[in-house]
Amino acid sequence: MAVVRQDRTELARFLPVVQNMVIQELRVRYQRSVLGFFWTLLHPILMMSILAMVFSQLFKTAVKDYAIFLFAGMVPWNFLAASLNDCAFCIIQNEGLIRKIYLPKLVFPLAKVLTNLTTFLLSLGALFIMLKPLGAPISWSLLFLPVAIALFALFALGLGMIVAVANTFFRDCGHLVSVFLQAWYFATPIVYEMSMMPEEVRWRFSLNPAFPFIRMFQVILRDGQFPQLTTVLVAAGIAAASLGIGYAAFKSHEDKLVFRL
Amino acid sequence: MKTNWYSDSDPARAVERKPGAAAAAPLVELRDVSLRFVSYTDKQYSLKRAAIDLLLRREGPPPSTDFWALRDINFSIAKGERVGIVGTNGAGKSTLLRMLARIYPPTSGTVTVRGNVAPLIEMGAGFNPELSGNDNILLNGAMLGIPRKEMLAKVKGIYDFTGLAEFADLPLKYYSSGMYMRLAFAIATEVDPDVLLIDEALGAGDAAFIDKAKARIRGLLDRSHVVVIVSHDLAALREMCNRGIWIKKGRMVADGPIDEVIDAYLAETAPAKAG
Repeated sequence: MAVVRQDRTELARFLPVVQNMVIQELRVRYQRSVLGFFWTLLHPILMMSILAMVFSQLFKTAVKDYAIFLFAGMVPWNFLAASLNDCAFCIIQNEGLIRKIYLPKLVFPLAKVLTNLTTFLLSLGALFIMLKPLGAPISWSLLFLPVAIALFALFALGLGMIVAVANTFFRDCGHLVSVFLQAWYFATPIVYEMSMMPEEVRWRFSLNPAFPFIRMFQVILRDGQFPQLTTVLVAAGIAAASLGIGYAAFKSHEDKLVFRL
Repeated sequence: MKTNWYSDSDPARAVERKPGAAAAAPLVELRDVSLRFVSYTDKQYSLKRAAIDLLLRREGPPPSTDFWALRDINFSIAKGERVGIVGTNGAGKSTLLRMLARIYPPTSGTVTVRGNVAPLIEMGAGFNPELSGNDNILLNGAMLGIPRKEMLAKVKGIYDFTGLAEFADLPLKYYSSGMYMRLAFAIATEVDPDVLLIDEALGAGDAAFIDKAKARIRGLLDRSHVVVIVSHDLAALREMCNRGIWIKKGRMVADGPIDEVIDAYLAETAPAKAG
């Protein structure tokens, strides 16, 4: 507990550094492009339009409001995937900094997750713009969206801390992370719906830790309903477990990171 | 603020202190500190390598070598002491400084540093070349753990010292190395660190600036902070320090008044000149 308290005061002290890293990364990402920051909105819209066209042809009308369904699952998933891919390399990338100056190492995965969280929120904004003409329900359930986002971000941060440490010790992990994410993506009902699967294999989805989170977004954004309490509780439990394990893994190896660069 | 690190091999050796004793306690304290570097000469050692070793019936010990960069270092530095660290190249001077800056945690022993530390170990550590001089001052302050408000109050003082006010909005990537260095030095010394760590910082810059820098370090010392300097410029060390530590192959050989330590060091490294 003392460690957690010490970390909290340290992170509070170094919060401006995190802030700066996030702003810088966002700025560099869109530097010198004509549309600039507008790309954060435009890019997901274009990507998802293509996907919606392709998959709605493949599945025909098997899924209700397929485009909205796809967007509702895809936008959060992109946040998770980008966060983990970034976190895997965040320590290695900042080698120059880590070898020259002391910073609490937690700053690095935190900055990556927050950067992606920002683009995630902007993409959600784009999603809202699209939702209306596509006939999505705008309801009170949207008020629950911040809770879903917060839980999902904590889940991503926990996993991010794990991959950050793992990849610094074993450089092969970085490559595996993207492969694993691709497999995980297809194992999660994002482009298809769970009801399209045969009854006897559906239990497998309950083993997928990302499923309750994605489910929350789909229920809120497509069905315009509040997610079931059990889904929320399971998601909260998984987020807490991810954060706890990630934090423990990170802290126990934090001191050795500098020697592995 | 008090900072302790423990190696993973003996995590329980905490040195607990009563808060009341902190005022009299030395600002820097090292106890039986050792640091081992393991160099992973073959980072590819993995499943693939293990399989090949097995196939070729090679002996497969993890191909890593280790050496002790620092061995059994013990010293403490009280307020107002200016310590010069001497030693040949590769003796472990810079490693020791990095340990004081919390960059390297010790393999065993405890390092206690009280107060905030300003490391001038590598020029412009934490500078972002894309940002303007002004933004970098604030960013660097943040990395040293100084609140933005406090840092804003210091901006003027930094420009007074460096004379770089007209370049405040210029991105750092267009600065010359001398300007870069001046800015880094000014920030580290403007923040009133309790412990200032300098590694060969005085080599760069023009003559006028070196004099200004020396005056500034003396100013810092007058406000009774700790300064630790690693340098090969023995004349400068004699001038600025009052205590010397001689490191040889990771071990402390001598610790005492600066002149005695440097004389002994010179007597061994350059006997012809000394005699």
